[in-house]
Amino acid sequence: MDRRDFLQKCGTLLVAGVGLATGGVLATRAKGKESDTFWQIDPYACTQCGRCETECVLPVSAVKCFHANRVCGYCDLCGGYYRPSVKDLNTAAENQLCPTGAITREFVEEPYFEYTIDENLCTGCGKCVKGCTSFGNGSLFLQIQQDLCQNCNECKISRVCPSNAIKRVSYEEAYQLKDHA
Amino acid sequence: MCVARFPKPDFTSGYQYPDIEHGVPLEWLWNVVDIVLLIAMMGVVVWAAYKRRSRSVILGVSVVSVAYFGFFRSGCVCSVGSIQNVVLALTDSSYHLPWYVLCLFIIPLLAAVLFGRVFCAGVCPLGALQELVNVKNFRLTRAVSAALSVIPWIYLAFAILYAATRSQFLICRFDPFVGIFRLGGDLGMIIFGVSLLLLSVFVGRPFCQFLCPYGALLSVFSSFSWKKLTITSKTCINCALCIKSCPVDAIHSPQTSKTKESRSAGVRRVILFAILLPVFTLCGALLVGGQSDALSSAHKSVYLYHLIQEQQANPEMEMPLEVETFHALGGDIAALQAEVAEVQHQYAIYAYLAGALIGFVIGLKLLRLSVKRSRKTYEIDTARCTMCGRCFSYCPQNTVKKDEKA
Amino acid sequence: MRKLNRNIAIVTSIFMLVMVVMLGVSYYQMQQVSPLQSEVMQTLKELNEANGENESLQQQVRQLDLLSRKAYFVKEGQLKVGLFILLAMAGVLVVSLNLYYKGTKTLPDKELDPVDEWMNKSRSRKYITWASAGAAAAVLALVALQHVDVGNLLKKNPVESVAVSQQPTEQGATGDSLLIAVADTLKTDSTALVAAADSVEAKEEVDSLPIPKITSNAFRGNNSLGISSARGIPTTWDLKSKKNILWQSKIPKHGYNSPVINGRNVFLTGADQQARELYCFDVYTGELKWKVVADKIPGSPSTMPKVNADTGLAASSVATNGRQVCAIFATGDVICADMEGKRLWAKNIGLPDNHYGYASSLLMFGNELIIQYQNNSGAKILALSTANGNQIWSKSGNDKIAWSSPIIASLGGKSALVVMGNPAIAAYNPNNGAELWRVECLSGEVGSSPAAADGVVYGASEYSKCIAINGATGETLWEASDYLPECSSLCATKSLVFCATSYGMVCAYDAKTGAVVKEHDLTTPFYSSPVVADGKVYLFSNTGKVYIFSSSNFNLIKSFETGEKTFATPAFTDGMMIVRSDNSLYCVKKDEN
Repeated sequence: MDRRDFLQKCGTLLVAGVGLATGGVLATRAKGKESDTFWQIDPYACTQCGRCETECVLPVSAVKCFHANRVCGYCDLCGGYYRPSVKDLNTAAENQLCPTGAITREFVEEPYFEYTIDENLCTGCGKCVKGCTSFGNGSLFLQIQQDLCQNCNECKISRVCPSNAIKRVSYEEAYQLKDHA
Repeated sequence: MCVARFPKPDFTSGYQYPDIEHGVPLEWLWNVVDIVLLIAMMGVVVWAAYKRRSRSVILGVSVVSVAYFGFFRSGCVCSVGSIQNVVLALTDSSYHLPWYVLCLFIIPLLAAVLFGRVFCAGVCPLGALQELVNVKNFRLTRAVSAALSVIPWIYLAFAILYAATRSQFLICRFDPFVGIFRLGGDLGMIIFGVSLLLLSVFVGRPFCQFLCPYGALLSVFSSFSWKKLTITSKTCINCALCIKSCPVDAIHSPQTSKTKESRSAGVRRVILFAILLPVFTLCGALLVGGQSDALSSAHKSVYLYHLIQEQQANPEMEMPLEVETFHALGGDIAALQAEVAEVQHQYAIYAYLAGALIGFVIGLKLLRLSVKRSRKTYEIDTARCTMCGRCFSYCPQNTVKKDEKA
Repeated sequence: MRKLNRNIAIVTSIFMLVMVVMLGVSYYQMQQVSPLQSEVMQTLKELNEANGENESLQQQVRQLDLLSRKAYFVKEGQLKVGLFILLAMAGVLVVSLNLYYKGTKTLPDKELDPVDEWMNKSRSRKYITWASAGAAAAVLALVALQHVDVGNLLKKNPVESVAVSQQPTEQGATGDSLLIAVADTLKTDSTALVAAADSVEAKEEVDSLPIPKITSNAFRGNNSLGISSARGIPTTWDLKSKKNILWQSKIPKHGYNSPVINGRNVFLTGADQQARELYCFDVYTGELKWKVVADKIPGSPSTMPKVNADTGLAASSVATNGRQVCAIFATGDVICADMEGKRLWAKNIGLPDNHYGYASSLLMFGNELIIQYQNNSGAKILALSTANGNQIWSKSGNDKIAWSSPIIASLGGKSALVVMGNPAIAAYNPNNGAELWRVECLSGEVGSSPAAADGVVYGASEYSKCIAINGATGETLWEASDYLPECSSLCATKSLVFCATSYGMVCAYDAKTGAVVKEHDLTTPFYSSPVVADGKVYLFSNTGKVYIFSSSNFNLIKSFETGEKTFATPAFTDGMMIVRSDNSLYCVKKDEN
């Protein structure tokens, strides 16, 4: 075997060795289902800045508004449904806060009204969440829909979130919901 | 942030609370399928290249890769980006590295040590996409290629820097093809991706040759590969069709002619570049390391801190959203300052390392280019060869052999 | 076969180009129609609000809203389909091109030029070296440039509010003309609509006059210090003969708060049991340009709190920064409007338990609204964002109730917020509320506000003392108790500190020593505060008699009856003084002779 070939073979062993060693070290740190691969918004940290709607790489953001009914006050004058200086409490378009009309208002019993969100119309702009958090119980909150989310290696929204509310979490924690009053 | 201003309603009509419905992510099983397919496809490429010398099989693998890894899995997480995850796992103990991302990183590298750049052949969706649209090759001169081949190393160094300091994933941010695969994304990057594809119609694999940081790693690993693609000198008829066809200019013709300059001049040059190698490394380290504070603004906390300082200096200006949110959430400036100091300290270390890497690579390339090597046969440079198989389909001896077999 | 492939390739590529253009246009259109970004929808909704129960207008707004939503979602669907078609065509193109070229594999000449590898290598070396050197030089150049430009790069200009343009959408417009108006607004760059249509005409008339430069952004002037740089203020005027009076206007509702001037706007508030309102008058004509009502505020009490007749519901003066103006009332309602009268936000910060009625005036520091909120129900200082009312910081404490207003003073070279209450005068960092120093020195009912000059803070309250504090360290410089104010605030220059009491005595203390330099027994009570402008101290007594002193030695220059009771402190701008008397608002300006 001539010199070049010998050096080559040594190089191969060395490089392969380095590769395997790195792999081994990392393998000790690698995780299965507990690995952090899903993106999640912490609804308690979110300040409803509106960037979730515009920054998601998808044409329609994977961030949607969810409603924790158990926390909701079922108010007539809903802070998340109505614009701040509304005249009449009806479902007229000019009174609604939601730009796409994704919140539906249904009478339950006196004086309670149920508010539901149509996911197909919601764009994740957060206006209703802001209204509900400022004037209501905070039962509306933004969260990432995992069947829409592409789970990018680095979430573009997380890079610009001003309150650092978006983090990687594991499969178990993939949804943080405001379900308790 | 969640103040229950209004009391819980007491329903008398027997109203039941609806449950919150939410979408379920893709089955975990798909990740296993990814790795299995990765290994299987690389195996097929190895067989196609070493045993069958067939380009059509490799093209078939490319189509499968674009369809599955590209459009179905949206090209994310890919091996190119896995570098960042691995770096993050090495520096941040709180990050839980998924095992399949580790596999995406290690397996192609190990395959490269064994068989050369099989990953680039048709398995990597980015490479496969460029391969499929490549129609006619106009090659760049060796010198220009050599100069441009430094860029992947610069990209790699910065990607490692930003990933190690937990600032951002640079490769993901500037991924040109992911926007095409998932049909949505940053408009600027989509336009860049489309332009690269248009370019790759006429230039072979522009991203793989001149931008891909993983390709830089693969080229190191594959230059020491155990098995290499060879051109059998006995059957070769010196038609040089393979050289013409290679999109990445990886085939070298025999070189035995004497050069004009004297041997001693050559030796002097080699010694000079050998001495300059550490000098280059040091210069690179100083140049990049010296800017570590400016570079650190890529980190969110440092950026926020700069915004706060700016705002305090000019209270009349519009308060940026980040600063307002920071104050509204009761941000502690002292804690932020401590964090910024820590981040900048980390940047100092990694920026020097990144600069040293760039300097070392440049110095090493120059050194290797000054070493004379004579060659008696046609040789394939495994570091550059992406195993696309064009040389197989162009070589007349190959088809002759196939016909003979039949 | 080859021809077929070639033709397919050409046709597909043309199709693809057309598709790309169409998709691009569709995407652009979608952005325009998008109900989310729609300025038009916002404008129309406000127009609807302003015009009350206009049925047909409401219908049109709803229709337009529905149409734009439908259009948005339909376009979204179209885009998705279009993208898939584009991809499919790309696939066809690639396949056909490949097939075309497969048949044209040309064999090159056997005689290739010999590859001179050595030359290639040396050229490569050269290229790499030059490229690296060039890159390194570029980096160094960028670094050098940054160091030079960093100061300029950091400065940002505040957002100017865009002027209103004429809107063709008037009441009773039909559906078609409404849509045409929508198309027009898409072309122009208009923002909020003014509720009162007649202001459009008034604007054209007085557009030629210059915008006054000197502002008076809060109670007692900028930073509430009581010093104005205005010049050419007359020392005599007569409301009956209109001598030196530019205009006099009635204020719709009564209030004890003082006028605030920014540009051409004079801001005041007024309130009664029915409503609480913020007014904007024009500084040149005295005409009421707009008013914003503090109503429909969640948390606002439905019945008015009990307040003293001497205080009323609108005792607090407003504050502005040239972009937003904020007002607060005794109900705890805070409202904010922009310079055109559009209400930006409103909130209730809690009903103050205050036996006289809440009276602390507002103050703005950049984009922060600072509220001194010291009542029987608790004491805190709030800083809200003027853009949206969000709380930036707040500082709670155990201080007792006070009716003083905060000031911004330059202490130790930096801007500091000084708050006077019972029992302490304290200084804070206005950006985050961090306390700089605190001196416990006062007691009783603190109705007067502090003053500052030359890095020294002065404060006084009746039945306690008058004190001077070193603004940088918080160390007491002197104390005096000769004459103490109840409601009127101190006003300080480098050499003198002016004080007006409610039992008729006014005096000037020496700023360095606290000795009384000059005093006058004027017998009339003073609630409004002395303010300095044009080398003179202007002081209005409750009966309406005005006293003008020299600001260098406090000698009385002039005094005369104005004929109208005055409890508020005047405000100054270029060559003009705006006075709010109990009945009216008037502007004192030298007559053009």
